[in-house]
Amino acid sequence: MALRLSIGQYYPAESPIHRLDPRAKVGCALVAMASTFLIRTPLQLALGVALALALVAATRIPVTKVLESIRPLVTILVLLGLFNLFLVRDGETLFACGPLLIGAEGAWSAVLYSLRLAIAILMGALMMLTTTPTQLTDAFDAALSPLARLGLPAHEIAMVFSLMLRFIPTIADEAQAIADAQRTRGGALGEGSPLHRCHAIAAILVALFASSVRHANDLARALDARCYAGGEGRSHWHPAHMRPRDWAAVATCVACIAAILFAGTL
Amino acid sequence: MEPDNAILVDLDHVTLRFERGVVALNDVSLRIHEGERICILGANGSGKSTLASVLCGLLAPDQGGVSLLGRKVAQDGDVNYDAYEAVRRELGLVFQNPDDQIVTTVVEDDVAFGPENLGMAPEQIETRVRRELKRVAMQSFAKADPTRLSGGQKQRVAIAGALAMGPRVLVLDEPGSSLDVRGRRSIMRVMNRLHAAGTTIVHVTHFMEEALCADRVIVMDHGRIILEGEPQRVFSQGDTIRNLGLEEPFSARLASRLAQLGVPVRWTCSADDLKDQLVNLGKELVVDDLAPAGTRSRLGARDEVPASQSPHATEGRISASGVSYSYAGTNGRQAVGGASFEIAPGTSCALIGQTGSGKSTLLRLICALEKPDAGRLEVNGFDVSKRRERRMLHGQVGYVMQHPERQLFAETVWEDVAFGPTNLGLSVEEVGHRCVSALDLVGLADQESASPFDLSGGQQRLCAIAGVLAMRPRLLILDEPMAGLDPRGRQAIRSILGKIHSLGVTVVQVTHSMEDAALQQQVIVLDQGSVVAQGTPHEVFNARTGQTLHERGLGLPQSLAWAQELAASGLDLGQDPLNLNDLARAIAHQLDPAASSSPRDRGKE
Repeated sequence: MALRLSIGQYYPAESPIHRLDPRAKVGCALVAMASTFLIRTPLQLALGVALALALVAATRIPVTKVLESIRPLVTILVLLGLFNLFLVRDGETLFACGPLLIGAEGAWSAVLYSLRLAIAILMGALMMLTTTPTQLTDAFDAALSPLARLGLPAHEIAMVFSLMLRFIPTIADEAQAIADAQRTRGGALGEGSPLHRCHAIAAILVALFASSVRHANDLARALDARCYAGGEGRSHWHPAHMRPRDWAAVATCVACIAAILFAGTL
Repeated sequence: MEPDNAILVDLDHVTLRFERGVVALNDVSLRIHEGERICILGANGSGKSTLASVLCGLLAPDQGGVSLLGRKVAQDGDVNYDAYEAVRRELGLVFQNPDDQIVTTVVEDDVAFGPENLGMAPEQIETRVRRELKRVAMQSFAKADPTRLSGGQKQRVAIAGALAMGPRVLVLDEPGSSLDVRGRRSIMRVMNRLHAAGTTIVHVTHFMEEALCADRVIVMDHGRIILEGEPQRVFSQGDTIRNLGLEEPFSARLASRLAQLGVPVRWTCSADDLKDQLVNLGKELVVDDLAPAGTRSRLGARDEVPASQSPHATEGRISASGVSYSYAGTNGRQAVGGASFEIAPGTSCALIGQTGSGKSTLLRLICALEKPDAGRLEVNGFDVSKRRERRMLHGQVGYVMQHPERQLFAETVWEDVAFGPTNLGLSVEEVGHRCVSALDLVGLADQESASPFDLSGGQQRLCAIAGVLAMRPRLLILDEPMAGLDPRGRQAIRSILGKIHSLGVTVVQVTHSMEDAALQQQVIVLDQGSVVAQGTPHEVFNARTGQTLHERGLGLPQSLAWAQELAASGLDLGQDPLNLNDLARAIAHQLDPAASSSPRDRGKE
């Protein structure tokens, strides 16, 4: 169908990143993404960009595929850049034209803020592209498992998360179909009076809700038929083991972050 | 069937009620032996699916006893949950919609899901996943994303997922009803292979032909088992079968029709048996009596595309030349590539092609929901490439999508049907008038104040169609309007479309049934986004096109396939019959030229 979400879609390939233990991978990715916001100097930025590009190469995923998966977020990056460019007016004036004024400080923030967000997004995208939803579920399951001792249904939350990923494209396709059906019956969205628009949206939501309930019923039957009974007694086809190469990856990640932080003090 | 084999399922006077007093199963007794292949038939709402759920331990009845795999699991509402949990591990279920059965986004992970739930060791899971993917011929898709597979492929993944748990009984609840010809064929192949390997199979279906492969057929109606026995015995009860809203297999109908025409054949529902009988009858004839070969006459007056009242009328006309379209993000892969065709006003047209051939995309273009990338597409005299004219077309072209019942939303049937006409800005009286006539046409006049969500599946479909008909379109576009319906439901849609067409409306439908396609005036064949054949049914379906159609995942109407097989066995009918009646008459004529041409036989089948 017309609408396809490319975020969160696994891309199969043979690479060391694909083979990493999901817990190590997800953990490292999250820490690395958070630490990009500590980047302040040009040297740090250069290191960060180099690291991100090296990661793209290491995953052996075609660059076009990676770009495609982050395309929906590029607009945000560009807007963020433009805001900084025009709204931060400190520093030496580089360009002035009427009310428009671009300062050195603004130009630098535009580059810094956009690029470091781009690095973070890229790392997130790589994590999603190299990890199957099953592995993601396992990773979140492992991360939440300490809370299980407090009575939190950790495995079930992770399972719901994975089913959500699985059904987003299905529901999105259906929303599109319902909207199209109403369009051909003269009930176009985004046209007419506000009341008319509300009616159109309500009609789509009711139909979508009914179809989600149907999906949920069918899914419950399918889970029952396949003897799903929560995390207890469940085994894993690929049980997660931290192998030496996973520890090496964690060490490399820590070293890279340390290097970037150290570069900030130079 | 070997009756000495262990009894795997034993239902003893089972009754099951749903909320609001609906009796889903009524005093059902049934035994299934190991290695048996059982087929359950019945109209929509006859209790087939409920029975399937009871058989695989997902529902416990209110009354009667259930033993599964030799263990008593329920007796008169007394449910042994531990026993249920234990036996469920060895019972597999596959149902209609493959989308809702696939829980992960990687094929092999999904197959592993069941074994993981059973707590199997990783090495064993590995073996099972590889073995079952191979068995359903999906091993090359192990890492694929299921949402990108065709319906038939997805359903095979679902079957592999059930098989990987090593079930002793596999229940398939209408596994083929949402699939195209090729998808259904592949599911039947998998089932034949499983049966040969000794798996016990319970197959719920709407397709009578599929029931012929079973050891035993069970026919249900209103929660009761009405008929039970070998296919030959069950289908000999033609009247009962028809009264239940079902139909007999093609060969059985043909045998009955031939007997009416005075051809001395013994009734049978086995295609091979009937063919042998006919070929033997043919051999008894003197060769001189046979019609000269090579002059293939054509039957049927519906063949010519009607010249419309005014050849230049634009209303109801579709003309496409070189139309191309590709979806964003598919790297320019064309969903429709250079399609050219013409559909005259008032024509009934079938669009056929396997999943992914571009049929649905073409319909979206015709309904002005997408703008063609290249080429010229004119609908009702409007140019679809212009935004303004696309807007004008919304509301003019009636579009019944796949599973239109999923788009119902209003509180009452009336409101849902009135949605379209109201949007057209018509007066309240006119809207009311149109709703009444649309609901009358589909036979839902007495349901106007019911909630659409309380209707049966078939009625919901009719309600959604009424909502489109109330717009009074001169051009009606339908995407698989009969998918998932039982024979009676399919017949209801066929007769509604016939009425609409007789009012002069252009009716274009996508269908997976070659029989239905052959009933239209015009057939367009799509493959990989291109129009590969078009014309009258006789031009598209004939002795020369059979092989090509098969390669494109399609086929010939059964009557034509029959004629060809008879010809191959030495009984050449000298024509290409496209429906059962024509086939029967051609056979009768060939076997006894003098007796068969009387006009009284020209009735409908």
